[in-house]
Amino acid sequence: MNEPSAWSGRNREEQMADVWGNLPGWGTLAAVNHTSVGLRFMATGLLFFLVGGLLAMLMRTQLALPEQTIVEPDLYSQLFTMHGTVMMFLFAIPVLEGVAMYLIPKMIGTRDLVFPRLSALGYYCYVFGGLIVLSSLVLEVAPDSGWFMYTPLSSREYSPGPGSDFWLLGITFVEISAISAGVELVVSILRTRARGMSLNRMPIFCWYILAMALMIVFGFPPLILGSVLLELERAGGMVFFNTTGGGDPLLWQHLFWLFGHPEVYIIFLPAAGIVSTLIPVFARHPLVGYQWIVLAIVTMGFVSFGLWVHHMFTVGIPHLAQAFFSVASMLVAVPTAIQIFAWLATLWQGRVVFDLPMLWIVGFLVVFVCGGLTGVMLALVPFNWQVHDTHFVVAHLHYVLVGGMLFPLVAGFYYWLPHISGRMPSYQRGRWGFWLFFGGFNLTFLLMHLTGLLGMPRRVYTYESGLGWDWLNLLSSLGSFIMAIGVAVIIIDIFLHFRFGASATRNPWGADTLEWAIPMPVNSYNFLSMPEVSSRHPLWHTPELTDRISAGEYGLADARHGRREIYLSDAVNGHVSAIVPLPSNSWLPMVTAGALAIVCLGLLLKAYYVALAAALMSLTVILRWSWENGAHPAVAPGGDASPEEPHLHSRTSDGPGLWGMVVVLMSDGTLYVSLLFGWFYLWTAAPEWAVPDKQPISVALLVASGLLLTVATGLYQKAVSRLKGGCADRLGSLLWWVAGLATVHWVLLVLTIVMGSLKPQELAHDAVILVALLYLAIHSGLALIMTALQAARVRFGYVGEALPYEPIVIRPFWLYTLGVFWLTVAAFFLIPLVWTVA
Amino acid sequence: MNERSLAPVHLVLGPVIWSAWFVLLYGGLSVACEFAPPDPEQGAGTPINVVMIASAVLLAVGLVYLSYRCTHGGSAPLTGTHDPARSFIRGMSSSMYVVSAAGIIALTIPSLVLPPCL
Repeated sequence: MNEPSAWSGRNREEQMADVWGNLPGWGTLAAVNHTSVGLRFMATGLLFFLVGGLLAMLMRTQLALPEQTIVEPDLYSQLFTMHGTVMMFLFAIPVLEGVAMYLIPKMIGTRDLVFPRLSALGYYCYVFGGLIVLSSLVLEVAPDSGWFMYTPLSSREYSPGPGSDFWLLGITFVEISAISAGVELVVSILRTRARGMSLNRMPIFCWYILAMALMIVFGFPPLILGSVLLELERAGGMVFFNTTGGGDPLLWQHLFWLFGHPEVYIIFLPAAGIVSTLIPVFARHPLVGYQWIVLAIVTMGFVSFGLWVHHMFTVGIPHLAQAFFSVASMLVAVPTAIQIFAWLATLWQGRVVFDLPMLWIVGFLVVFVCGGLTGVMLALVPFNWQVHDTHFVVAHLHYVLVGGMLFPLVAGFYYWLPHISGRMPSYQRGRWGFWLFFGGFNLTFLLMHLTGLLGMPRRVYTYESGLGWDWLNLLSSLGSFIMAIGVAVIIIDIFLHFRFGASATRNPWGADTLEWAIPMPVNSYNFLSMPEVSSRHPLWHTPELTDRISAGEYGLADARHGRREIYLSDAVNGHVSAIVPLPSNSWLPMVTAGALAIVCLGLLLKAYYVALAAALMSLTVILRWSWENGAHPAVAPGGDASPEEPHLHSRTSDGPGLWGMVVVLMSDGTLYVSLLFGWFYLWTAAPEWAVPDKQPISVALLVASGLLLTVATGLYQKAVSRLKGGCADRLGSLLWWVAGLATVHWVLLVLTIVMGSLKPQELAHDAVILVALLYLAIHSGLALIMTALQAARVRFGYVGEALPYEPIVIRPFWLYTLGVFWLTVAAFFLIPLVWTVA
Repeated sequence: MNERSLAPVHLVLGPVIWSAWFVLLYGGLSVACEFAPPDPEQGAGTPINVVMIASAVLLAVGLVYLSYRCTHGGSAPLTGTHDPARSFIRGMSSSMYVVSAAGIIALTIPSLVLPPCL
């Protein structure tokens, strides 16, 4: 604990604000600070929500009466496709990521996320990707195959326009944002918690976000792979989903729902985290069953990956396999129920203060439980068959998603609003918005269950009169307009609150978590000194903590060195092990995302040279980004930390970058496993799977290339082992040797591809092999470039005996590259050979 | 299990085993039905069902054993006061093993009554 000195109070705050603040004017676009980036995610997400809502209103207007032609069928198809796409990809996930990015550092008692530039990159990828997707609407070429883009409807044959391309490229771009947020949040939660915040003392919200972030890491790669394959099929004529040539359209469904079902829980878990955070505050009682809820979160995270086939019950899967997924779908209700009973028990045991956020929490409980119950009904295969593709499913998914996400989100907005505005929301005004929204929602969707049970299919632009659906549709449309008025009232209320809301006192709700120890409106550095905690409810058990933090009594209260500093702590017990100097404001993320957007547009416009040039430009910018890292003076001015503090992380072998790399590789590995799944799926299930008469590539050349990669990896391991042992003699030349060997390996690998006789436009077999080889080439190329970069940094003194950070970070990448290389040889060449011989 | 072996990885090891088993179950069933489908008249009494049930029982027993080791195998009891974080991981890991075992058993129930490839 620091002794308060003469240099304290206002001076400290001004110094801290100088170091952590955004640049003025347009310079604010270079902000990497989690508060700015988190708020921008949320604000942008809300704008997309309004767009998605407008599309829904158009659909409900069209369906209000039978046989209307306000909206033509083609446009209607675009509307429902874009409504689902916008709400799922551009609103729900990003806005919750924004909430998490904003809150997590504050809750775990630190000043920023651990990779701030990654946060900013994620934001710009999201904005640019979202604008690309939305531009298709303006250009009247929006995708119209449904938000799940089923093949063959989305394939070139049935969707010859650019709509599907906008979706595939734009959404893949947005997914980069999601994965970067996932990596960022996982490492931040595990490695940058406040001193003393062991896992068992972690706020429950952090458990939810940890699970969500890991689910993003594992859940998004199958869709990224699917999108890449489908775009290659559409633009390059390769065969993956077309039965002619050995593809299978069902592969797309598998890849999509491998992502799509976990996505529902990716959306639900953070929202449930908000509920678990708010209920104890308003019940004035600790959350009942903390361990049970953690158990439920982890269970839900895993089980949600085992449900994807329940979206495919009608495609002809064997009954027993359907039964597995039916049981799994029912099992997921158990952890959900555990949470609901824990919330009810907390309310039961406490003395509930019924303020505005609680109104939305109660709304959540009612709506979400109804959605959960219809979910269990849909898990039953015979019932699922009956209502498949009807409005019953539409009603169910809105009860789950709006009930399970939007209600808690609004509750959270009202709850954390004082943070941003310094003012309290008004119950009197706010309740109008709630009741209009709640009433309108139930009028719209409760009746829609009945519409579906009466047989009305979804995704039809109109219907005949006299089928019994007329009054139901009219009331649903009426309800949707009431709901829209509710949204308008909420928005007006929030704007008014910034002007008329009563001033908030510090910790106005009497909360227990650290985000309320920050002055309001919130500053750029969160905590003047880094808090220490000794309980799960720090502000309840140590009320004086707020003043002590502000008085600079804890660590890292001095910013005169000009570094943005946070602590690195142990993942389990929260013991501080190092200081992480974080990068300051930077244009690199925006420029990188801009270059990637040009890649995307180049591919859309079939201007492939432009796309290639932009890709090279983005790689160059990323190299610059990587250069300014670790011990580079732009990130860590002023040398090492003061003697009484731990070392800067670049002086240790356990920096956050290593964890970041491992989490990235987990995501990367999931993409690779999805590719392997695709390979084996097509091999065993595609109706017209065909194998060429002779091996289309030279396996001998491939193996020779692999042997060189093995030597290069071994040499790299040796270099890093020596470095960790404190020996950096000839480190630079050793790394150059590795890079040289990797170059020869890479050239041989590319020759293997170029000299082979692969026919990816005729055979799915060859198309998948080509993708696998390109995957290897990209990884080998990246390993080579990263190693050469570090060899150059050795020369400049950013890496060395006392600064071993980056080479240690890159080591898992080398091992991964080597592993997938030989796995590819085994899975794509060895096993088929053995199978053929057998 | 000693303190060292009670790394946080035990928190997720049970569900990871469950997931891997589930993938193998579904994938293996698909492959078996593709290349060696039994006669549907045999009902649930096929070698495929037997393998599925046997693997489930074996794994469930193994997971319950791991759960027992988490709570009883170490030098420090679950209620020990020496390190709450370790006790937390101990308790959570033990529970996760049991939950995973229960998940495996639940998923196996349909194999008792349904033919595999119908």
